[in-house]
Formats: sequence, structure tokens, C-alpha cells
Amino acid sequence: MDNAIEVSNLTKYYGKLLAVDHVSFEVKSGEVFGFLGPNGAGKTTTLRMLTGLTKPTSGAAAVAGFDILRESTTAKEHIGLVPEVSNLYDEMSAWDNLIFAAQLYGVPKKEREKRTKESLELFGLYERRRDHVGNFSKGMKRRLTIAAALIHKPAIFFLDEPTTGLDVQSSRMIRNLIKELNEGGATIFLTTHYIEEADQLCQRVAIINQGKIVALDNPEKLKATVEEHRIIEVSFSPAQEFTSQLKELRFVSHVSRVGDKLRLYVEDVSEVVPIIIDFARKKRLKVVSINTLKPSLEDAFAKITGLSPEVMATEKEPVKKEGGGSG
Amino acid sequence: MVKTKSIIQAVHIAKKDAKVYFFKWPNVTFGLFLPAIIYLAFSVGRPTEISSTIPGLVAMAALFGAGAIQSIALPLERAKGTFDRLLAAPVSLTTIIVGKALGGFFFGVVLSLAYSLIVIPLSGATLTYPLLFAFGIILSSFAFSALGACISAPFRDIPEAMPPATLLRVSMVFLSGVLIPVATMPNVLQLIAYLLPLTYAVDMMQQAMTGQIVSQLFLLDSAALILFSVFFLTAAVLILKRTIH
Repeated sequence: MDNAIEVSNLTKYYGKLLAVDHVSFEVKSGEVFGFLGPNGAGKTTTLRMLTGLTKPTSGAAAVAGFDILRESTTAKEHIGLVPEVSNLYDEMSAWDNLIFAAQLYGVPKKEREKRTKESLELFGLYERRRDHVGNFSKGMKRRLTIAAALIHKPAIFFLDEPTTGLDVQSSRMIRNLIKELNEGGATIFLTTHYIEEADQLCQRVAIINQGKIVALDNPEKLKATVEEHRIIEVSFSPAQEFTSQLKELRFVSHVSRVGDKLRLYVEDVSEVVPIIIDFARKKRLKVVSINTLKPSLEDAFAKITGLSPEVMATEKEPVKKEGGGSG
Repeated sequence: MVKTKSIIQAVHIAKKDAKVYFFKWPNVTFGLFLPAIIYLAFSVGRPTEISSTIPGLVAMAALFGAGAIQSIALPLERAKGTFDRLLAAPVSLTTIIVGKALGGFFFGVVLSLAYSLIVIPLSGATLTYPLLFAFGIILSSFAFSALGACISAPFRDIPEAMPPATLLRVSMVFLSGVLIPVATMPNVLQLIAYLLPLTYAVDMMQQAMTGQIVSQLFLLDSAALILFSVFFLTAAVLILKRTIH
């Protein structure tokens, strides 16, 4: 099977709201595929349609070679789903949650306890196996949710914003796990609004905005789309707000602030550097640092979507209820 | 043909529901005390004989045990997002609903049997056909659990689900021969009574209790409860399909 996921003109309306607008793409077997976009772009709705949680309004899709509408139950046997918000039973222990997940997926009785023990040990939760999940931290719940998705050893994983809201250590652990799963041959479909995460993990990235896929390629090629624009990062002392004044300079197409530095997107570095020095001299500013940067995926995202990367940094509101998508 | 795998999955869902939602002390006390409270509120100062009302009390225990908690369990699961875990698994919607109905059924049977074991010896009444009485408990509990699943299927949260479920159950108690014999009701109410599963449950258990079995009537009661169960489960699946997607 060349493609683990095939999507053709998938569309979803919630009432009159068009959440996903005729998206088409393929995910190759053994690939880590990123679905990158701001909150409300249609990421989660697409994932919910592909995993059988929501019915598409129109279009078609196949997962593991099975049609998601006509052969939904069979397709689900090959899927491991990690939702953004834990859907574990808070009233049950970590052990019982995993056993129940194994039972739902038809894991043979002899294997259930063995796999549950191994999973809990792998995720560092074995000592807490008898505790109710309701008492777990967000990071522990996310780890257990992943353990539950692994229990039937699926070939295709769907992870919805897997590191959102987690501490650095838990995020790193989950990213490493995604890499390990992929190295083991699993296909990963990942939604994220963290550009860096998509850049680090994904072999190909689809950028989705307002329900439409606006770009789809590997991260390096996406970055290359902004290579005609060079970036100069400059820091002045005293640091003041010069964004609008710098935008007026010749050859400068866009200016954004990153911490105490200003990023100027320019057509020709050699032309702009003297202009910046001249600008600083006229304003009696000291140039603390000036560097040229290679475009990042963040820059590509900003150019392709026309959105500020800061929009992506905004954490989304937690969504618990079954039904509409959130991203 | 029903697949063995589906039956096993339904039983796993039922066991999980029994553990998470049903077999909790507040639910047990609710199921045991509410029928007694309704009975006492109605019968104080009235010439009623406890032995003749035992079938109604046991049927109420099944109704409140199996049905009341069931009508909360499904919306609660949807509100908390755990229902997605079931939907994402390779399990059909019919299997999910049957599994949930089985969870309520187990609880209803246990509660009603416990009720019978307490009330019958205390009242000094004679249970003529215990096995037929137990059979009545089994069919009634499943029908009431299926009813609970059906009336809660359109709702995604408990506050939405509670009012219609409570209204229906309380109305059933007054219209199904639990407190007032159906035969003494006006014709219109009698007609309504025969549209309610509790009527058949009470009648069945009364026949088994008193020993005055009329075979055709007992079979009719059994068939009615089975048909009600099938109807409620089918309706629950269809309603869920519409509200999920």
C-alpha cells in the first residue's frame, strides 16, 4: 500500500459554516504528515472525519485502503487516535482504561495484560496504575491517551495537537515517541499549530487556513518559497517601536518584532543594510546587532497564509465535547 | 447475523458502564429508596395491601435502577468526550447502544432482585412463581434500560436530558398500574397505559406473584416488553446517528 491515507474533495459544513472546504491530499505509508494551521482552520474537523468521529458533508477518503464511510469499522481497526483532550475515563484506573481500550479493539485476552503492563512501564505510569485517571496531570493523561492508542498496535496514528499545553519535558518525550513510532514503520498524521514542531517532525506539511489547503510540500521546499525574500534581524539601542518607520524604507516589504529584535523582509540585503545604518544614525540609535537569516517554516507560513506567526502561538481553548471540531 | 465479536464488545462496554456509572452507592440508594418513598407518599391513609403492590414496587425499582441512571450515562459520556473513545473504536453504533443498554440491564436486575429479597419476606407475602417473577424482572429491566438509552440519545448534556426523562418516568408510575389498577382508570388513560412498558412489567410480575397466570396474557406481556426493547434500541441508534454527524 503506497498511500496510508487518501483524501479527495473532503468537505464539512456545520450548519451554514464551511469548516473544511474540498481538501485533497495523500499521506504515504510510513510518512509523518503534518497538518499545520491556526485555531479554527479545519485541522481537527479533518482529523475527526478521517477517524470516523464526524461524517463528511461531501467528498471521499480512505484510510489503510478502506473507505471511511462504507468500511468505517474496518478502517478503525488500523487507526490509533490521540485526541487533543483526554477521552479516558476519569473514574477508572490507568490499568482499567488500557484494558478497556484493548477489549474494544479485540486484543486477545492473553495479550491484554502483557501489553498494558508494557505500555504503562514505557510511559512511566506503572507505579500509578491503580490510581484513578481523574487524579492525573495533563501530561500524564496525554501519555496514557497515547498508550491507549498504541495498545492494538495500529499502522496509522492520528495525533491532534499532541503537545499543546504540555510542559517542555512531556512535549519532548512525545516528540521523541512520534519519531520512534515512525522509525518503527508507522504512518503519522499530526495536526499542530506549532510551526517548529511541524518543521522538526514532519516529512511533508499541509498548511490549512479557513478550511482550505493553501500549501503542501516538504518543509524545506516550503521554506524555499520565501527565499526570494531575505531577512535582516536588527536590534537597536535604545529599543523603541520603529516597526512602522522601518516599513517605509526602500526595498523593505514587511517588518515584524521578535523579542527585542526587528525582522525586516527585504528584496536585496546589500541595498538595505546601508539604509538601516543610515536610519540608525539619523535617529541617534546604536545598532546592537545586525544579522541576515535564512527563511524558516514560520516565514513560509506567514507568506503563504498572510497571517502573522503570532496567531499560531495563541493557545486554543480546551474542547471536550463530542461534536464540532476546533481546529 | 449477529457477530460474536460484537456481542463480546457489547459486554465489555456494559461492564465498563456498570463500573463507571451504575454500581455506585448513591445510585443504589436512589434505586432502592425512591420506589418506597413514592409508594408511601401515595398509600398513607389509603386502604392498600402491601402484598398486592409488591410487583409495582419491584417494577419501579427496575425502572428507576435501569432507566434513570441510563438516561444520564449516555449524555454524561458525550459531555465528557469519552463517547469519542467508543466511536473511534472498531465498534458499530448498534453494538455501543446494546452495550450501554446491557449495563443498565445488569444494574436493574440486581437492584430489583435485591428489592424483592428485602420487601417480600418483610411483608409476609407469598411469591407463587419465583422463576416467572425473575423472568419478569429480566425483561422489564432490559426494556427500561433501552428506554433510558432512547430518551437520552438526542442529548449531549445531563441538564438537557433530565427533564424529559424524569417527566416520562413519573408519568409512567401513575399510569401503568403501579399505584392505581389500570382497569379502574378512565378509557383514555387505559389506552395510554397500554402504550407504556411499565404496564406490561407490572402485569407480568403480578401474575407471577399471585399465581393467577393467564398464559396468553403472560406471553403478551413478554412479547410487548421484547418489542419495546427492540423499538427503543433501534430508535436510540437512529437518533444517535443523526445527532452525532
